[in-house]
Amino acid sequence: MDFKQQIEQANQKAAEILTGGRPVWVDVQPAGDVIPGMTPDTLLIAGPPIAVEEIPGPVKTAICGALIYEERATTMEEAWQLVTSGTVKVESAQDHDAACGAAMATSASMPVCVVEDKVYGGRGFCAVHPGNKQNVLRWGFYNEEVQRDLVWFRDHYGPALGETVRRMGGIDLINVMSKTAGMGDENHNRQPAASMYMALQMIQTMMEMEFPYRDQIVKEFAANDRFFLHVMMAGAESVLASVKKIPHSTVMVAMGGNGIRFGTRFAGTGNRWFTVEAPLIEGLFLKPTYTREDMLGFLGDSCVTEVYGLGGMSASAGPGYVILTGSTFADALQRSADARKVCVAEHMFAPIPWDGSRGFPVGVDARKVVGLNILPTSHGGGTLKAGGQGTMGSAKLPLDCFKQGLVAINEILINEAK
Amino acid sequence: MTNTDRIQELFNSELVVLNIGPRLFGDALGKQNVEVVQVDWRPLAGGDKQMQDLLADLGI
Repeated sequence: MDFKQQIEQANQKAAEILTGGRPVWVDVQPAGDVIPGMTPDTLLIAGPPIAVEEIPGPVKTAICGALIYEERATTMEEAWQLVTSGTVKVESAQDHDAACGAAMATSASMPVCVVEDKVYGGRGFCAVHPGNKQNVLRWGFYNEEVQRDLVWFRDHYGPALGETVRRMGGIDLINVMSKTAGMGDENHNRQPAASMYMALQMIQTMMEMEFPYRDQIVKEFAANDRFFLHVMMAGAESVLASVKKIPHSTVMVAMGGNGIRFGTRFAGTGNRWFTVEAPLIEGLFLKPTYTREDMLGFLGDSCVTEVYGLGGMSASAGPGYVILTGSTFADALQRSADARKVCVAEHMFAPIPWDGSRGFPVGVDARKVVGLNILPTSHGGGTLKAGGQGTMGSAKLPLDCFKQGLVAINEILINEAK
Repeated sequence: MTNTDRIQELFNSELVVLNIGPRLFGDALGKQNVEVVQVDWRPLAGGDKQMQDLLADLGI
Protein backbone atom coordinates (compact mmCIF):
# COMPACT_ATOMS: atom_id res chain seq x y z
CA MET A 1 0.00 0.00 0.00
CA ASP A 2 1.26 3.49 -0.77
CA PHE A 3 1.03 6.35 1.72
CA LYS A 4 -2.23 7.59 0.28
CA GLN A 5 -3.89 4.19 0.60
CA GLN A 6 -2.66 3.77 4.17
CA ILE A 7 -4.11 7.15 5.11
CA GLU A 8 -7.40 6.51 3.31
CA GLN A 9 -7.84 3.22 5.13
CA ALA A 10 -7.01 4.81 8.50
CA ASN A 11 -9.34 7.73 7.90
CA GLN A 12 -12.14 5.37 6.93
CA LYS A 13 -11.72 3.69 10.30
CA ALA A 14 -11.74 7.10 12.02
CA ALA A 15 -14.97 7.98 10.21
CA GLU A 16 -16.59 4.72 11.36
CA ILE A 17 -15.71 5.35 15.00
CA LEU A 18 -16.69 9.02 14.96
CA THR A 19 -20.13 8.29 13.51
CA GLY A 20 -20.66 4.89 15.11
CA GLY A 21 -19.50 5.69 18.65
CA ARG A 22 -22.27 5.93 21.24
CA PRO A 23 -21.32 8.22 24.15
CA VAL A 24 -23.38 7.48 27.26
CA TRP A 25 -23.05 9.50 30.49
CA VAL A 26 -22.64 6.74 33.08
CA ASP A 27 -21.33 8.31 36.28
CA VAL A 28 -19.85 11.17 38.25
CA GLN A 29 -16.71 10.30 40.21
CA PRO A 30 -13.69 12.08 41.71
CA ALA A 31 -11.21 12.87 38.93
CA GLY A 32 -8.38 11.04 40.67
CA ASP A 33 -10.39 7.81 40.83
CA VAL A 34 -11.26 7.60 37.14
CA ILE A 35 -9.01 9.67 34.85
CA PRO A 36 -6.12 7.62 33.47
CA GLY A 37 -2.73 8.82 34.71
CA MET A 38 -4.26 11.25 37.22
CA THR A 39 -2.62 11.37 40.68
CA PRO A 40 -3.05 13.65 43.72
CA ASP A 41 -0.03 15.52 42.32
CA THR A 42 -1.60 16.07 38.90
CA LEU A 43 -3.60 19.08 37.79
CA LEU A 44 -5.23 19.17 34.39
CA ILE A 45 -5.68 22.35 32.37
CA ALA A 46 -6.85 23.22 28.86
CA GLY A 47 -4.94 23.29 25.61
CA PRO A 48 -1.53 22.01 24.61
CA PRO A 49 1.18 21.52 27.28
CA ILE A 50 2.62 24.80 28.53
CA ALA A 51 5.76 25.77 30.46
CA VAL A 52 4.92 26.77 34.04
CA GLU A 53 6.33 30.28 33.63
CA GLU A 54 4.05 30.94 30.63
CA ILE A 55 0.77 29.97 32.29
CA PRO A 56 -1.56 33.00 32.03
CA GLY A 57 -3.05 34.71 35.08
CA PRO A 58 -6.58 33.25 35.15
CA VAL A 59 -5.25 29.68 34.77
CA LYS A 60 -2.64 30.33 37.45
CA THR A 61 -5.40 31.51 39.78
CA ALA A 62 -7.43 28.38 39.03
CA ILE A 63 -4.41 26.15 39.65
CA CYS A 64 -3.61 27.79 42.98
CA GLY A 65 -7.27 27.78 43.97
CA ALA A 66 -7.52 24.06 43.20
CA LEU A 67 -4.48 23.35 45.38
CA ILE A 68 -5.88 25.34 48.29
CA TYR A 69 -9.21 23.53 47.85
CA GLU A 70 -7.28 20.24 47.96
CA GLU A 71 -5.64 21.45 51.22
CA ARG A 72 -2.21 21.22 49.64
CA ALA A 73 -1.52 24.87 50.45
CA THR A 74 -3.03 27.68 52.47
CA THR A 75 -2.05 30.67 50.33
CA MET A 76 -1.80 31.33 46.59
CA GLU A 77 1.97 31.83 46.91
CA GLU A 78 2.42 28.52 48.69
CA ALA A 79 0.29 26.79 46.07
CA TRP A 80 2.28 28.27 43.19
CA GLN A 81 5.49 27.12 44.84
CA LEU A 82 4.23 23.52 44.60
CA VAL A 83 3.93 24.02 40.84
CA THR A 84 7.23 25.81 40.21
CA SER A 85 9.10 23.26 42.34
CA GLY A 86 7.67 20.43 40.24
CA THR A 87 5.91 18.79 43.20
CA VAL A 88 2.63 19.23 41.37
CA LYS A 89 2.56 18.51 37.64
CA VAL A 90 0.31 20.60 35.41
CA GLU A 91 -0.69 18.58 32.36
CA SER A 92 -2.85 18.89 29.30
CA ALA A 93 -6.32 17.46 30.04
CA GLN A 94 -6.76 16.15 26.51
CA ASP A 95 -3.67 13.99 26.96
CA HIS A 96 -5.77 12.17 29.61
CA ASP A 97 -8.99 11.84 27.54
CA ALA A 98 -10.37 14.71 29.60
CA ALA A 99 -11.31 18.30 28.83
CA CYS A 100 -11.19 21.57 30.80
CA GLY A 101 -13.48 24.50 30.02
CA ALA A 102 -11.68 27.88 29.71
CA ALA A 103 -9.33 28.57 32.67
CA MET A 104 -10.42 25.51 34.64
CA ALA A 105 -7.91 23.46 36.62
CA THR A 106 -9.14 19.96 37.48
CA SER A 107 -7.72 18.36 40.60
CA ALA A 108 -8.03 14.84 42.02
CA SER A 109 -11.04 15.23 44.33
CA MET A 110 -13.19 17.25 41.93
CA PRO A 111 -16.24 15.38 40.60
CA VAL A 112 -16.08 14.71 36.87
CA CYS A 113 -18.69 13.43 34.44
CA VAL A 114 -17.70 10.00 33.18
CA VAL A 115 -18.93 9.23 29.68
CA GLU A 116 -18.45 5.85 28.06
CA ASP A 117 -18.58 5.04 24.37
CA LYS A 118 -20.70 1.88 24.46
CA VAL A 119 -19.59 0.76 21.00
CA TYR A 120 -15.82 1.23 21.02
CA GLY A 121 -15.22 1.27 24.79
CA GLY A 122 -13.46 4.63 25.22
CA ARG A 123 -14.07 6.78 28.28
CA GLY A 124 -13.98 10.58 28.52
CA PHE A 125 -14.06 13.00 31.45
CA CYS A 126 -14.95 16.59 32.27
CA ALA A 127 -15.70 18.46 35.49
CA VAL A 128 -19.37 19.05 36.25
CA HIS A 129 -20.43 22.39 34.73
CA PRO A 130 -20.33 25.01 37.48
CA GLY A 131 -23.33 27.08 36.37
CA ASN A 132 -23.69 30.36 34.58
CA LYS A 133 -22.03 32.67 37.11
CA GLN A 134 -18.66 34.24 36.39
CA ASN A 135 -17.20 33.73 39.87
CA VAL A 136 -15.95 30.19 39.27
CA LEU A 137 -12.60 28.46 38.86
CA ARG A 138 -13.50 27.89 35.20
CA TRP A 139 -13.22 31.64 34.52
CA GLY A 140 -10.06 32.06 36.57
CA PHE A 141 -11.43 33.17 39.93
CA TYR A 142 -10.83 31.78 43.39
CA ASN A 143 -12.22 33.17 46.66
CA GLU A 144 -14.39 32.06 49.59
CA GLU A 145 -17.51 31.66 47.47
CA VAL A 146 -15.66 29.56 44.88
CA GLN A 147 -14.20 27.42 47.69
CA ARG A 148 -17.69 26.84 49.13
CA ASP A 149 -19.01 25.87 45.69
CA LEU A 150 -16.14 23.43 45.10
CA VAL A 151 -16.80 21.70 48.42
CA TRP A 152 -20.55 21.64 47.70
CA PHE A 153 -19.89 20.01 44.31
CA ARG A 154 -17.51 17.47 45.83
CA ASP A 155 -19.65 16.51 48.82
CA HIS A 156 -23.22 16.83 47.55
CA TYR A 157 -23.95 18.07 44.03
CA GLY A 158 -21.53 15.76 42.17
CA PRO A 159 -22.40 12.60 44.14
CA ALA A 160 -26.15 13.25 43.70
CA LEU A 161 -25.74 13.57 39.92
CA GLY A 162 -23.66 10.39 39.86
CA GLU A 163 -26.25 8.46 41.84
CA THR A 164 -28.97 9.69 39.50
CA VAL A 165 -27.29 8.67 36.23
CA ARG A 166 -26.24 5.32 37.69
CA ARG A 167 -29.83 4.62 38.75
CA MET A 168 -31.03 5.59 35.27
CA GLY A 169 -28.55 3.16 33.71
CA GLY A 170 -26.80 6.02 31.95
CA ILE A 171 -27.96 8.77 29.60
CA ASP A 172 -27.38 8.32 25.88
CA LEU A 173 -26.03 11.64 24.58
CA ILE A 174 -26.83 10.85 20.93
CA ASN A 175 -30.41 10.29 22.03
CA VAL A 176 -30.45 13.71 23.75
CA MET A 177 -29.15 15.46 20.62
CA SER A 178 -31.52 13.55 18.34
CA LYS A 179 -34.51 14.46 20.47
CA THR A 180 -33.50 18.12 20.46
CA ALA A 181 -32.61 18.32 16.75
CA GLY A 182 -33.93 21.49 15.18
CA MET A 183 -34.27 23.30 18.50
CA GLY A 184 -31.41 25.68 17.81
CA ASP A 185 -28.53 24.13 19.74
CA GLU A 186 -25.13 23.98 18.07
CA ASN A 187 -24.01 22.24 21.28
CA HIS A 188 -20.87 24.19 22.03
CA ASN A 189 -21.93 27.68 22.99
CA ARG A 190 -25.66 27.09 22.93
CA GLN A 191 -27.32 24.00 24.41
CA PRO A 192 -30.48 24.99 26.31
CA ALA A 193 -32.58 22.39 24.48
CA ALA A 194 -30.18 19.53 25.22
CA SER A 195 -29.76 20.66 28.84
CA MET A 196 -33.52 20.90 29.33
CA TYR A 197 -34.25 17.57 27.69
CA MET A 198 -31.66 15.90 29.88
CA ALA A 199 -33.10 17.59 32.96
CA LEU A 200 -36.58 16.44 31.92
CA GLN A 201 -35.38 12.85 32.19
CA MET A 202 -33.16 13.23 35.24
CA ILE A 203 -35.44 15.23 37.51
CA GLN A 204 -38.04 12.44 37.48
CA THR A 205 -35.44 10.07 38.89
CA MET A 206 -34.03 12.65 41.29
CA MET A 207 -37.45 13.21 42.82
CA GLU A 208 -37.82 9.48 43.51
CA MET A 209 -34.54 9.39 45.39
CA GLU A 210 -33.50 10.40 48.85
CA PHE A 211 -30.24 12.27 49.12
CA PRO A 212 -29.20 15.24 51.25
CA TYR A 213 -30.20 18.69 49.95
CA ARG A 214 -32.22 17.10 47.15
CA ASP A 215 -34.46 20.08 46.44
CA GLN A 216 -31.53 22.49 46.37
CA ILE A 217 -29.64 20.20 44.03
CA VAL A 218 -32.62 19.80 41.69
CA LYS A 219 -33.15 23.56 41.65
CA GLU A 220 -29.51 24.28 40.86
CA PHE A 221 -29.34 21.58 38.21
CA ALA A 222 -32.54 22.66 36.48
CA ALA A 223 -31.41 26.29 36.36
CA ASN A 224 -28.25 25.57 34.38
CA ASP A 225 -29.02 25.73 30.66
CA ARG A 226 -25.34 25.11 29.83
CA PHE A 227 -25.10 21.92 31.86
CA PHE A 228 -24.99 19.70 28.76
CA LEU A 229 -21.75 21.30 27.52
CA HIS A 230 -19.43 19.61 30.00
CA VAL A 231 -21.22 16.27 29.69
CA MET A 232 -20.81 16.51 25.92
CA MET A 233 -17.13 17.46 26.24
CA ALA A 234 -16.64 14.22 28.16
CA GLY A 235 -18.74 12.50 25.49
CA ALA A 236 -16.52 13.81 22.70
CA GLU A 237 -13.44 12.62 24.58
CA SER A 238 -14.94 9.15 25.05
CA VAL A 239 -15.26 8.64 21.29
CA LEU A 240 -11.99 10.40 20.44
CA ALA A 241 -10.18 8.08 22.86
CA SER A 242 -10.63 5.29 20.28
CA VAL A 243 -9.84 7.48 17.26
CA LYS A 244 -6.54 8.49 18.90
CA LYS A 245 -5.38 4.88 18.57
CA ILE A 246 -5.59 4.74 14.75
CA PRO A 247 -2.11 4.94 13.19
CA HIS A 248 -1.58 6.84 9.92
CA SER A 249 -4.82 8.79 10.18
CA THR A 250 -4.71 12.49 9.33
CA VAL A 251 -7.93 13.12 11.27
CA MET A 252 -7.81 15.69 14.08
CA VAL A 253 -8.35 14.14 17.53
CA ALA A 254 -7.65 17.05 19.88
CA MET A 255 -7.56 20.81 19.87
CA GLY A 256 -7.58 23.58 22.39
CA GLY A 257 -5.87 26.69 23.67
CA ASN A 258 -3.97 27.47 26.86
CA GLY A 259 -4.33 31.24 26.43
CA ILE A 260 -0.87 31.58 24.89
CA ARG A 261 -0.66 28.76 22.33
CA PHE A 262 -3.35 26.98 20.36
CA GLY A 263 -2.74 23.38 19.38
CA THR A 264 -4.09 20.36 17.56
CA ARG A 265 -3.34 16.65 17.64
CA PHE A 266 -3.90 14.11 14.89
CA ALA A 267 -4.60 10.39 15.23
CA GLY A 268 -1.55 9.33 13.24
CA THR A 269 0.96 11.45 15.14
CA GLY A 270 0.42 10.15 18.67
CA ASN A 271 0.73 12.55 21.59
CA ARG A 272 2.45 15.33 19.64
CA TRP A 273 0.79 18.73 19.67
CA PHE A 274 1.18 21.14 16.77
CA THR A 275 0.92 24.67 18.04
CA VAL A 276 0.80 28.31 16.98
CA GLU A 277 0.21 31.58 18.80
CA ALA A 278 -3.33 31.38 20.17
CA PRO A 279 -5.84 33.34 18.06
CA LEU A 280 -8.46 35.55 19.71
CA ILE A 281 -12.05 34.44 20.00
CA GLU A 282 -13.89 37.37 18.44
CA GLY A 283 -17.51 38.27 17.91
CA LEU A 284 -19.44 39.97 20.66
CA PHE A 285 -17.85 41.76 23.62
CA LEU A 286 -19.92 41.06 26.71
CA LYS A 287 -19.35 44.62 27.96
CA PRO A 288 -18.93 47.64 25.69
CA THR A 289 -15.83 48.72 27.61
CA TYR A 290 -13.86 45.58 26.72
CA THR A 291 -11.28 45.77 23.93
CA ARG A 292 -9.12 43.26 22.07
CA GLU A 293 -6.22 44.23 24.34
CA ASP A 294 -8.17 42.92 27.33
CA MET A 295 -8.39 39.44 25.86
CA LEU A 296 -6.24 36.37 26.29
CA GLY A 297 -5.62 34.18 23.28
CA PHE A 298 -7.83 31.14 22.75
CA LEU A 299 -8.23 29.41 26.12
CA GLY A 300 -10.14 26.21 26.78
CA ASP A 301 -10.93 22.70 25.65
CA SER A 302 -14.65 23.15 25.02
CA CYS A 303 -13.77 23.07 21.31
CA VAL A 304 -13.43 19.30 21.66
CA THR A 305 -17.10 19.55 20.75
CA GLU A 306 -15.94 20.79 17.32
CA VAL A 307 -13.48 17.89 17.10
CA TYR A 308 -16.57 15.70 17.50
CA GLY A 309 -18.59 17.62 14.88
CA LEU A 310 -20.54 20.13 16.98
CA GLY A 311 -20.25 23.90 17.63
CA GLY A 312 -18.78 25.64 14.58
CA MET A 313 -19.10 22.42 12.60
CA SER A 314 -22.84 22.25 13.31
CA ALA A 315 -23.27 26.03 13.12
CA SER A 316 -26.21 25.62 10.74
CA ALA A 317 -28.09 23.89 13.57
CA GLY A 318 -27.63 26.91 15.85
CA PRO A 319 -27.88 30.03 13.70
CA GLY A 320 -29.17 32.03 16.68
CA TYR A 321 -25.74 31.91 18.29
CA VAL A 322 -24.00 32.87 15.06
CA ILE A 323 -26.29 35.87 14.57
CA LEU A 324 -26.00 36.93 18.23
CA THR A 325 -22.23 37.07 17.87
CA GLY A 326 -22.29 39.40 14.89
CA SER A 327 -22.54 37.10 11.87
CA THR A 328 -25.49 36.08 9.72
CA PHE A 329 -27.70 33.08 9.00
CA ALA A 330 -25.80 32.69 5.71
CA ASP A 331 -22.55 32.60 7.68
CA ALA A 332 -23.94 29.80 9.86
CA LEU A 333 -24.77 27.74 6.78
CA GLN A 334 -21.37 28.55 5.28
CA ARG A 335 -19.50 27.38 8.40
CA SER A 336 -21.11 23.95 8.19
CA ALA A 337 -20.68 23.85 4.40
CA ASP A 338 -16.97 24.66 4.72
CA ALA A 339 -16.56 22.04 7.43
CA ARG A 340 -18.17 19.41 5.18
CA LYS A 341 -15.49 20.05 2.56
CA VAL A 342 -12.68 19.20 4.98
CA CYS A 343 -14.27 16.39 7.04
CA VAL A 344 -14.27 12.64 6.53
CA ALA A 345 -17.82 11.93 7.71
CA GLU A 346 -21.17 13.36 8.72
CA HIS A 347 -23.24 12.70 11.85
CA MET A 348 -26.78 11.84 10.80
CA PHE A 349 -28.46 11.63 14.22
CA ALA A 350 -29.85 15.16 13.99
CA PRO A 351 -30.34 16.31 10.37
CA ILE A 352 -31.15 20.00 10.05
CA PRO A 353 -34.26 20.76 7.95
CA TRP A 354 -33.16 24.29 6.93
CA ASP A 355 -29.76 23.00 5.85
CA GLY A 356 -31.06 20.52 3.30
CA SER A 357 -31.55 17.95 6.07
CA ARG A 358 -27.79 17.55 6.16
CA GLY A 359 -26.02 16.31 9.27
CA PHE A 360 -23.02 17.65 11.17
CA PRO A 361 -19.61 17.25 9.50
CA VAL A 362 -17.13 15.40 11.72
CA GLY A 363 -13.49 14.34 11.51
CA VAL A 364 -11.36 17.18 10.18
CA ASP A 365 -8.80 15.80 7.71
CA ALA A 366 -5.56 17.81 7.82
CA ARG A 367 -4.93 17.01 4.15
CA LYS A 368 -8.16 18.63 3.09
CA VAL A 369 -7.69 21.71 5.27
CA VAL A 370 -4.24 22.32 3.78
CA GLY A 371 -5.02 21.22 0.24
CA LEU A 372 -8.28 23.12 -0.14
CA ASN A 373 -7.07 25.98 2.05
CA ILE A 374 -10.40 25.95 3.90
CA LEU A 375 -10.28 26.68 7.63
CA PRO A 376 -13.08 25.29 9.82
CA THR A 377 -14.50 27.53 12.51
CA SER A 378 -14.59 26.93 16.24
CA HIS A 379 -17.15 28.71 18.37
CA GLY A 380 -16.09 29.76 21.84
CA GLY A 381 -16.06 32.19 24.71
CA GLY A 382 -12.99 34.39 25.09
CA THR A 383 -11.31 34.84 28.48
CA LEU A 384 -10.20 38.22 29.82
CA LYS A 385 -6.59 38.60 30.91
CA ALA A 386 -7.99 39.61 34.29
CA GLY A 387 -10.27 36.56 34.45
CA GLY A 388 -13.89 36.18 33.45
CA GLN A 389 -15.54 35.86 30.08
CA GLY A 390 -15.00 38.82 27.75
CA THR A 391 -16.36 37.65 24.41
CA MET A 392 -18.59 35.11 22.79
CA GLY A 393 -17.85 34.37 19.19
CA SER A 394 -15.61 32.25 17.06
CA ALA A 395 -12.13 31.72 15.65
CA LYS A 396 -10.82 30.13 12.47
CA LEU A 397 -8.61 27.11 13.14
CA PRO A 398 -5.00 28.10 12.37
CA LEU A 399 -3.72 26.63 9.10
CA ASP A 400 -0.18 26.12 10.35
CA CYS A 401 -1.26 23.49 12.91
CA PHE A 402 -2.48 21.36 10.03
CA LYS A 403 0.62 21.95 7.91
CA GLN A 404 2.86 20.89 10.81
CA GLY A 405 0.73 17.78 11.28
CA LEU A 406 1.10 16.78 7.64
CA VAL A 407 4.89 17.16 7.75
CA ALA A 408 4.98 14.96 10.87
CA ILE A 409 2.78 12.22 9.48
CA ASN A 410 4.81 12.17 6.28
CA GLU A 411 7.99 11.67 8.34
CA ILE A 412 6.36 8.79 10.24
CA LEU A 413 5.31 7.09 7.01
CA ILE A 414 8.76 7.54 5.44
CA ASN A 415 10.48 6.11 8.52
CA GLU A 416 8.13 3.12 8.59
CA ALA A 417 8.77 2.45 4.90
CA LYS A 418 12.57 2.32 5.38
CA MET B 1 -7.20 31.39 -41.98
CA THR B 2 -4.50 32.79 -39.69
CA ASN B 3 -4.53 32.48 -35.90
CA THR B 4 -5.33 36.18 -35.66
CA ASP B 5 -8.37 35.62 -37.83
CA ARG B 6 -9.51 32.80 -35.59
CA ILE B 7 -9.28 35.01 -32.51
CA GLN B 8 -11.11 37.79 -34.31
CA GLU B 9 -13.81 35.34 -35.32
CA LEU B 10 -14.18 34.29 -31.70
CA PHE B 11 -14.87 37.86 -30.65
CA ASN B 12 -17.38 38.28 -33.42
CA SER B 13 -19.34 35.26 -32.25
CA GLU B 14 -21.52 35.04 -29.15
CA LEU B 15 -19.22 34.46 -26.18
CA VAL B 16 -19.85 31.97 -23.38
CA VAL B 17 -16.99 32.35 -20.94
CA LEU B 18 -15.68 29.92 -18.35
CA ASN B 19 -13.84 31.98 -15.76
CA ILE B 20 -11.45 30.07 -13.52
CA GLY B 21 -10.13 31.54 -10.28
CA PRO B 22 -10.29 35.31 -9.68
CA ARG B 23 -13.81 36.61 -10.20
CA LEU B 24 -12.66 40.01 -11.42
CA PHE B 25 -12.33 39.01 -15.09
CA GLY B 26 -15.64 37.21 -15.17
CA ASP B 27 -17.39 40.09 -13.40
CA ALA B 28 -16.07 42.56 -15.99
CA LEU B 29 -17.48 40.46 -18.83
CA GLY B 30 -20.74 39.95 -16.95
CA LYS B 31 -21.19 43.74 -16.86
CA GLN B 32 -20.91 43.68 -20.66
CA ASN B 33 -23.76 41.17 -20.82
CA VAL B 34 -21.49 38.26 -21.63
CA GLU B 35 -22.59 34.92 -20.25
CA VAL B 36 -19.98 33.82 -17.68
CA VAL B 37 -19.73 30.58 -15.72
CA GLN B 38 -17.53 30.98 -12.66
CA VAL B 39 -15.44 27.97 -11.66
CA ASP B 40 -14.59 28.00 -7.96
CA TRP B 41 -10.96 26.97 -8.31
CA ARG B 42 -8.03 27.68 -6.06
CA PRO B 43 -4.48 26.46 -6.39
CA LEU B 44 -3.81 23.38 -4.27
CA ALA B 45 -2.60 24.30 -0.75
CA GLY B 46 -2.89 27.97 -1.61
CA GLY B 47 0.17 27.58 -3.85
CA ASP B 48 2.46 26.34 -1.06
CA LYS B 49 4.96 24.21 -2.99
CA GLN B 50 6.14 22.17 0.01
CA MET B 51 2.55 21.25 0.87
CA GLN B 52 1.72 20.50 -2.76
CA ASP B 53 4.62 18.02 -2.88
CA LEU B 54 3.52 16.43 0.41
CA LEU B 55 -0.07 16.08 -0.76
CA ALA B 56 1.10 14.42 -3.97
CA ASP B 57 2.26 11.54 -1.74
CA LEU B 58 -0.35 11.71 1.02
CA GLY B 59 -3.37 12.34 -1.23
CA ILE B 60 -6.27 14.62 -0.45
